[in-house]
Amino acid sequence: MKQKSSVNFLVACCLLLGAAFSVNPSPQCRECVTLDRTDRSDQSDRTDRSNQTDRFLSAASSPRLNLILPRGVQRGQTHTLEFIGERLGDAQEIFFYTPGFQVQSIEMVDANRVKAVVQVAADVPVGRHIAQVRTATGISDYRPFWVNHLPIAAEVEPNNDLASAQAVSMNVTVDGIVTNEDIDYYAVPCQEGQRLSVEIVAMRLGSYLFDPYIAILDANRFELAVSDDSALAGQDGVCSVQVPSAGTYYVMVRESSFGGNGECRYQLHIGDFPRPTAVYPAGGPVGQSLSLQFLGDALGPFASEMALPATKSEDFAVHPSDSKGLAPSGIKFRLSEFPNSLDNEPNNAAAAATKIEFPTAVNGIITEDGDQDYFRFTAKQGQVWDIEVYGRRIRSGLDPVVHLLKGDGTYLVGSDDSRGPDPYLRWTVPEDGEYVLWVHDHLNRGRHDFVYRVEFQSVAPALNIEIPRIEQYGQYRQSIVVPRGGRFGSLILANRINFGGEVVLESENLPAGIRLQAQPMLANLNQMPVVFEAAEDAPLGGQLLTLTARHADPAQAIRGPFKNSADFVLGEPNQSKYITGEVEQVAIAIVEKLPFRIEIEQPTAPIVLDGTKDIKIKVHRDPGFTGNVHVEFPFRSPGVGTRGNIQIPPDQTEGLYPLNAAGNSQVGTWPIYAIGMSDVGGPAWSSSQLGTLEVAAPYVTMEVARAGCEQGETVLVPCKINQLTAFEGEGKVQLLGLPPNCEAEPLTFTSTTQELVFRIKTTAETTAGKHRGVFCQVTIPVRGESVVSSTGGFELQVDVPLPKEEPKVEAPVATPPPPAAEAPPAPPVEKPLSRLEKLRLDSKKK
Amino acid sequence: MKNIIFRWLGFRWCAFGLIAFAVTSVVALPRSLAQENAAVETPATEPPAAAVPAPAAPVTANAVVRFAVFPPTVHLTTTRDHQTLVGQIELANGLTSDVTREMTIEVTPAELVQIEGNRLRPKQDGDGQITVRHGDQSIVIPLVVRQSAETLPLSFRLDIMPVFMRSGCNTGSCHGAARGKDGFNLSLFGFDPAGDYHRLMREQLGRRVDLAFPERSLLLEKAVGTVSHSGGSLFKNDSRYYQTLLEWLQNGAPDDPGAVPQVVSVELYPEGGVLNGPDTTQQLTVVANYSDGSTRDVTELAYFSSANDNSATVTQAGVVTAANRGEAFLMARYDTHTVGRHFIVLPKDLEFVWQELPANNYIDELMYAKWKRLRIEPAPLCDDATFLRRVSLDICGMLPTAVELDAFLADSEPNKRAKKIDELLERKEFVEMWVMKWAELLQIRSTINVSYKSALLYFNWLQQQIANDVPIDAMVRELLSSKGGTFSNPATNYYQMQTDTLKVAENVAQVFMGMRTQCAQCHNHPFDRWTMDDYYSFAAFFSQVGRKPGEDPREVIVFNSGGGDVRHLVGGRVMTPKFLGGAQPEIQPGQDRRQVMANWLASPENPFFARNLTNIVWAHFFGKGIVNDVDDVRVSNPAVNEALLAELGKRFTDYKYNFKQLVRDICNSRTYQLDTKINDSNASDETNFSRRYLNRMRAEVMLDVISQVTDTGNKFRGLAFGARAVQIADGNTSNYFLTTFGRATRETVCSCEVVMEPNLSQALHLLNGETVHQKCREGGLIAKMIGEGQTPASVITEIYQRAFSRKPEEEELQRLLGMVAESPDVQDGLHDVFWAVLNSPEFMFNH
Repeated sequence: MKQKSSVNFLVACCLLLGAAFSVNPSPQCRECVTLDRTDRSDQSDRTDRSNQTDRFLSAASSPRLNLILPRGVQRGQTHTLEFIGERLGDAQEIFFYTPGFQVQSIEMVDANRVKAVVQVAADVPVGRHIAQVRTATGISDYRPFWVNHLPIAAEVEPNNDLASAQAVSMNVTVDGIVTNEDIDYYAVPCQEGQRLSVEIVAMRLGSYLFDPYIAILDANRFELAVSDDSALAGQDGVCSVQVPSAGTYYVMVRESSFGGNGECRYQLHIGDFPRPTAVYPAGGPVGQSLSLQFLGDALGPFASEMALPATKSEDFAVHPSDSKGLAPSGIKFRLSEFPNSLDNEPNNAAAAATKIEFPTAVNGIITEDGDQDYFRFTAKQGQVWDIEVYGRRIRSGLDPVVHLLKGDGTYLVGSDDSRGPDPYLRWTVPEDGEYVLWVHDHLNRGRHDFVYRVEFQSVAPALNIEIPRIEQYGQYRQSIVVPRGGRFGSLILANRINFGGEVVLESENLPAGIRLQAQPMLANLNQMPVVFEAAEDAPLGGQLLTLTARHADPAQAIRGPFKNSADFVLGEPNQSKYITGEVEQVAIAIVEKLPFRIEIEQPTAPIVLDGTKDIKIKVHRDPGFTGNVHVEFPFRSPGVGTRGNIQIPPDQTEGLYPLNAAGNSQVGTWPIYAIGMSDVGGPAWSSSQLGTLEVAAPYVTMEVARAGCEQGETVLVPCKINQLTAFEGEGKVQLLGLPPNCEAEPLTFTSTTQELVFRIKTTAETTAGKHRGVFCQVTIPVRGESVVSSTGGFELQVDVPLPKEEPKVEAPVATPPPPAAEAPPAPPVEKPLSRLEKLRLDSKKK
Repeated sequence: MKNIIFRWLGFRWCAFGLIAFAVTSVVALPRSLAQENAAVETPATEPPAAAVPAPAAPVTANAVVRFAVFPPTVHLTTTRDHQTLVGQIELANGLTSDVTREMTIEVTPAELVQIEGNRLRPKQDGDGQITVRHGDQSIVIPLVVRQSAETLPLSFRLDIMPVFMRSGCNTGSCHGAARGKDGFNLSLFGFDPAGDYHRLMREQLGRRVDLAFPERSLLLEKAVGTVSHSGGSLFKNDSRYYQTLLEWLQNGAPDDPGAVPQVVSVELYPEGGVLNGPDTTQQLTVVANYSDGSTRDVTELAYFSSANDNSATVTQAGVVTAANRGEAFLMARYDTHTVGRHFIVLPKDLEFVWQELPANNYIDELMYAKWKRLRIEPAPLCDDATFLRRVSLDICGMLPTAVELDAFLADSEPNKRAKKIDELLERKEFVEMWVMKWAELLQIRSTINVSYKSALLYFNWLQQQIANDVPIDAMVRELLSSKGGTFSNPATNYYQMQTDTLKVAENVAQVFMGMRTQCAQCHNHPFDRWTMDDYYSFAAFFSQVGRKPGEDPREVIVFNSGGGDVRHLVGGRVMTPKFLGGAQPEIQPGQDRRQVMANWLASPENPFFARNLTNIVWAHFFGKGIVNDVDDVRVSNPAVNEALLAELGKRFTDYKYNFKQLVRDICNSRTYQLDTKINDSNASDETNFSRRYLNRMRAEVMLDVISQVTDTGNKFRGLAFGARAVQIADGNTSNYFLTTFGRATRETVCSCEVVMEPNLSQALHLLNGETVHQKCREGGLIAKMIGEGQTPASVITEIYQRAFSRKPEEEELQRLLGMVAESPDVQDGLHDVFWAVLNSPEFMFNH
């Protein structure tokens, strides 16, 4: 068993290390533009410093990014973006997760803020984009900002009533803020019959829990349209009206509960652009051209022909446009390999169901209250379908409920909310025959834009990996920051869907000078440690790294991306997630050498089940650096536990990390690493090498029977030794858990000893009672180290001596003197007796 | 100087300690009223009218105009049955007299019954008649005797349980307590007979009941006190109760073999009375009607009580004894039924002549009828200024402006009060006032389950309903059958404010029917008709309310889940939905139970809905309800004027539940417009509205009015500066002033949340707190008036007009001017006047 594990480990190491070495350092990611700092004076100041300690302490590791301003920019323009956070002063690069952003310069405002001049290409898709800052010493969190297509106008206060409404032209995006109980009015001139569309992006900006309310009013203050929340835009509102007559119309913005503060920023799009609320069908086959119907616009539905992309993407959206312009945000659209089937009304009963044939994706609209859509299909026994109903996930107002019936109408199964408001079913076809799919709204509502889509998929394996969170709600240490000549370790978590087996990690574009150390993730684990090591001369810089995972067996062809999800907006109740963001690359940076490194002293002896072991962590500090090092031990194999961290103070160069292995720990050889942090003007992290630790079965176990004595007695306790693995030299066993005022000398034994006898001495002060926690701690010398384990737990009962009979005082003369034979103390017990044997003996004496 | 003016303005008690405010402020009347009070204090020290020998009443007044015998029929079944007869005469002057002992009873055929005083026992089967004579009057009552030779075995439920109830064994202070008493537990008021039988017979075998020696059963020995019993001796060995228990034990203490007839109704006779002076008595008799058609005289088994011992007491033998002047509601409880009758007690041989008064509408007519019976002369009509202040505060929560006051006083049209009422009803403030009151009933507040946004949307929904004159029945139907998201359909917040099924049912009963059914969750209601069956059957309407999270984490989707039941606490049986006090509806599969319930609740079929809402409206304008508290409708808390409440409810239904018209009726009535003046006959009246009761302004109105008078504003969350406290949406939004003065936090639906009683904190806050003092200065009103060149006299006059809606009397003006003149600074002096005026009871009370 042990041998097999070792072989596996070696093979895996070779495979992975080979893979890592074979990766050619890719050219600079085209989305990531490295720039020289414009803040030359600061740079020169730093290089001039002769004192090494000063240089370390002036670094600012672990930068944080909180906000990007302005919250929205117009595409096709050059903008100055301000990045606000902590320890950002030494920013060197901005990572954008989408193409089209060209950083022209970066300027430090202060230690926590930088400004970057960014050229935004004209073809950048409108909507949310994500950026993060790489500094000389680390990588910040990533944060969202918005790209618009309309020119941007700033809000000008006071504009708190109709009389002081801010005049804006048609087709503009207002960059505004709602302060406490603030109401903002905008006046916009309209022609008779003109479409006036308004869309606010506030919560979707992903920076603050700001739930806006918008309204379009006419000059007489009558509301033509209002929107608080919308299915299309979540808490953000969209309104679109056709104005009845020429004149000035007003757009009102406020917080939905009359709240607000300086963080409540919004991008308000006002124009005659189309603002449909749904697209039908809401999905289509990849690589084909499809006629789409846009619903919900003030001027009525309109059609558009669209060529769909050739590959599937979960984030794909269609952007409605007509002669008047482009809608400010897209509508989610499903791409699939299957052709569409469309809802063919009337199909409000199983008997009138629309017939569909697989493979297909079903598309429909629940158009009016009470509308029910039925679809009839044929299926073969044993087929297993994942039935995904897309309603709210494609931003439809429908709250879909799905049911499956037999062809004769017999009810089979149903689902309401499995994916948020959307249903999902895994269904095994019970027998060959006809079946009916039934879709309706949860509250039996219906609207002209209640679009839905049902996709039938065979059960397919899927895989993705992520870096688990260190912070409950933040992104701290979810990037890879490797110091030159040092290492950075991280756990990688794998989510296997519909399959099992070992998983290995791959990367296509590791930066030059970086080596990745990892083992395959065993089938019964969902995480593994990965250590990135940078050469002493690795080029400084950074990029977005593409990490992928695949099934260890290439024939399985299961492969999945890295994904990282961030919480952008949290709020009541219970830190609920309002806005999240997901990226599929991990930012990596090679930074200057850190003034400290840590190393694990590779253990030679195993940790055994029910055993403990101290792992020695060595700290190498550069001369002049005296920082405290906080060490963590992130990866623990199944059954192995340890403390959250240890501290290695400045006056020490090594520390012991105590591990313990439970009795049911998984035996084998496991990777281990430690990661240390010290303050170098911000927390900087440096990892040890990837070491190994063997978890083995115990070398010996011991059996000790219950023992008992009276206070003051000495009891001999026999101990049977089960020799399991041979060892050289002399082992030591010590009783632990004895009550106070009670002791037993440690004993020694060899690989051949079968039995030992402990001599437990008690005194009159030894605590009486049953002491259940007594056990043997065994220490065995193995390859120059000690293997420590616990075994042979037993119960020691210490009794208070029975009171001795007092001589009767009434008849002292008549009482004969006690026989001399009784006076001498009892001879020492030759054979150690068990508790039971002693009780029997006592009983016989009586 | 503040104190001088302040004391002079009516707070003389101030010098003796502020604590007096709490107890005296209710009667610390405005100055003008205090004089009238003084006038009535003197006669109050004189001997009561009853002590003065009344002149001989005219013969006609003592003439017997009605002789009645109760019950109206006698039905005797089996040997155990009996029936007592009670006689009553009514005199021409309205007084009644008990003639039970004076009447003679004859039965034809005589062999049917045995007559023992006023008690009849069956002798022989047959039909006959009973002739009862008193003086020269006689009454014939039908008589039916059946199974006269048959003696039915005693039933545990029908015979034994009533003994426990009557003897008080199963009350909350004795064995009916949740954990029993001294180791023995009975169900409270007998809600669980099967459980009681088990505990008696099986819980401790051989201890409580000894079938071998029934007389030695602990049950009997404890009851008669032959062994130590915490409850003492409850009855004697020779009592009927003892004999009943003994006979049952001798029979082997059997449980009932099957279902037994249920009590369907209980009748209490006579139907009321007007008793002439203290110590006058009246015998009562109680008849229970069973589901098998039989009747039973349960006078000896019923539990009697009086709602007003001060006016009349009742013994457990059913004898009413009059005491002080007033009205008492005398009740008998048997099984789960409580019935009651009104008895009026007058001073002995009181001389009273009803002075005819003009009636403005039906309210007055029905009130006059009641006052006439009570021999109460109402207060006169209030003056125009008082009316304007009163009606403005009540309808709009605002004081009239000086201009409005002048115009109203100058108006000589006879119907100017009605016109003013119509005008006020059209104001936005009227809507806001009722939105606030409904927000209290609907508990609109942010909680851990309800976000501030939800609460605000809910409030806005309510506001739209009231502002758009949506009939209340339609609003309630929409509310109670609402479904959807708490954001997208804010009415659904009703089911999010309270998510416990039983509590939702309790709240619906309390808010929309005025009934507190909480007691019946654990036991049959002790003072009302509601049983546990009623409680759980009603709660079953709300057992299928589904809730699921909305997409927004703050939103919840409320829907009809179509599944789920309520189970009875005892036995766990599934309860079928049944209207509270109504029928059991047919509910189709898939039908929303709430919809069925809401359709019934807000309809004329539900007798409680319209009555309850009219009572709430009435209480707003009079300070107390016709049933008071408004949400404590129960048999034992009857309406003080049943005819009026019934008529108001009927009219409200006829008005299609448009309560604006109801308010119009109330405010136009002469009853509403009475003065606060007290006379000999209405001095002790605290319930019959024969004079205007003083009401302290409620917290929101008071703060708004102080702000109005001082020309200042307040800032509340979500509202612009200067908005009124009445407009606050969230029950959790408050300030120190509002909390101190008892603003409802809307944590419960109880009407008791709004504290109207004055207390020391309020007095101290007004005197020493920041609100009044700061607002007097902050508004800059005095400085402005002086700046405009007004004289101190003119300033004081305006202050009076603003705060009291009247001009100062000459004496008041001169004394205040004198005090201002003594002040080193005229402006400071006038500020002190202003402060003192705002601290005076005439300002704080709506009178």
